Amino acid sequence: MQVFVQLLITGIAMGFIYALVGIEYTLIWNATGLLNFSHDKFILFGAYMFAGTYVLGLGLPPVLAILFAVLTMFLFGIVSAFVIFNPLSKLSTNLFAVIGTVILGRIMIESVRLIWGPLPFTLDNFLRGSIHFGSVVVSKAHLVIIVVCSLITAGLQVFFKTTKTGKAMRCVSENKTAASLMGINVPMNIAFTIGLSAIVCATIGILVIPIFNVELQMSSMIGLKGFASGVIGGFGYLPGAIVGGILLGVVEIFGSMLIPSVYKDCLSFVLLIIFLLVRPSGILGNKR
Amino acid sequence: MLKVNGIDVYYGKVQALFDVSIEVGDREIVSIIGANGAGKTTLMKSIMGINKPKNGTIEYNGQVISGLPPHKVVSKKIVYIPEGREIFPNMTVQENLEMGAYSVKLSKAEMERHLEEQYEIFPRLKERAKQKAGSMSGGEQQMLAIARGLMSDPELLMLDEPSLGLAPVIVDDMFDVIVRVNKVRNIPIAIVEQNAFMAMSISDRTYVLEVGNLVTHGESKTLMDSDEIKKAYLGG
Ligand SMILES: Nc1ncnc2c1ncn2[C@@H]1O[C@H](COP(=O)(O)OP(=O)(O)OP(=O)(O)O)[C@@H](O)[C@H]1O
Ligand SMILES: [Mg+2]
Repeated sequence: MQVFVQLLITGIAMGFIYALVGIEYTLIWNATGLLNFSHDKFILFGAYMFAGTYVLGLGLPPVLAILFAVLTMFLFGIVSAFVIFNPLSKLSTNLFAVIGTVILGRIMIESVRLIWGPLPFTLDNFLRGSIHFGSVVVSKAHLVIIVVCSLITAGLQVFFKTTKTGKAMRCVSENKTAASLMGINVPMNIAFTIGLSAIVCATIGILVIPIFNVELQMSSMIGLKGFASGVIGGFGYLPGAIVGGILLGVVEIFGSMLIPSVYKDCLSFVLLIIFLLVRPSGILGNKR
Repeated sequence: MLKVNGIDVYYGKVQALFDVSIEVGDREIVSIIGANGAGKTTLMKSIMGINKPKNGTIEYNGQVISGLPPHKVVSKKIVYIPEGREIFPNMTVQENLEMGAYSVKLSKAEMERHLEEQYEIFPRLKERAKQKAGSMSGGEQQMLAIARGLMSDPELLMLDEPSLGLAPVIVDDMFDVIVRVNKVRNIPIAIVEQNAFMAMSISDRTYVLEVGNLVTHGESKTLMDSDEIKKAYLGG
């Protein structure tokens, strides 16, 4: 029983990470109609910025380091909106913008290698250890992931439902011409959305440091699986990304009990293919 | 007071407007009529900053507004209710209305008052306030688009084919609302219409567009009596 609970918690924690990845790229998709092919590099960048620069480089306490990392990534998101997303999405075909984000990703990963070096490292005291609930042992990292991700997903819902900027973002994703006729500064609003997405990316990067360490490949797998979870839950629909992510996390962890763990990573993609064949609109796809 | 001075507008290499000039005076209703593809919507969008004129200028209250992005034009209190409704389908009716007031700062109480005002003009919208806008009928969506446009207390209102897709009874109501807005709020209105008879009968002056060129303009009353206009736009 306690093994079951422990596995479930681990699965849900990973699921929340996938959900956040789903949310992070869905935000940009909804605002611009573009897939951000550099989204896993945004995650990577956030993690390196936090661990490499603010914690190890400048010796800031974690809370302050998190704040700075999130802020830096927000600004990075805004700048990349004005340099890449906004201008390229105006061109006659989306192909330019797609290539643009791919190249941005290459530039980012090479910069990481240049700035922080190719060797993996980790933070020894950051979210390490475990907590006992009776006989159930839960790692601190997983617990924090669940709490933080729940707060972020709930916070985003409130943001989109109640704030003026959040509502304006929904308008922009539904109809850009109409949004501009309401007086919304559409390019600025899109930049803000991309900044928000970059904040989510940074948070993901920071949260997974205790699980994957800080290294160049730390975000590639969660990037792919997060993408899968968005499709499984219902493409372009935020609650879908959450449902899809958690489903994926749980299926994956229990699946790895039944099959050799080297195939664990395949599981999500098998699930993705099944959904694409049987229910391409995703679990919540028709609920809009 | 709006002045469009000889604008040329292109879509890529194709020219859609040729040296078009119009004026909308302080309290008047002006109608712009013309066949499909004449360039009426293009003219409206150029005023709003969605299309950029290649030559010519647009002035509002003495300031040049051509070249400004749409949100800046909206901040001058010019409101355009676009052709084809363009509502936000996945937002509720009330949220759509609230977004109409995006460009003005309203307190909670003022927002309530603005909403009530619209619900009074369009009681149907009140019944549907919490419903998703996309699930309403075409006519109801058109009412929503107009109500949403009025939310920001415009000082110049431009409507693009407000009667499109509405039942004849509703069309009458719609034009009543437009005339009332003009009288009660004392604001100028520019109205683009296929329904030339209706538009001309409520307007002070009319401009006639043909394939991107302004061919005639004048008092609506006078034009309605002209044989050419009768033949081309009023069906006899
Ligand atoms: N986005 C666009 N790209 C290219 N050409 C366009 C575009 N929009 C309009 N046009 C062309 O410009 C011309 C004028 O179109 P416009 O929409 O202004 O006409 P309209 O008078 O509003 O017609 P309708 O009564 O059908 O609404 C047409 O020939 C049209 O094909
Ligand atoms: Mg038109």
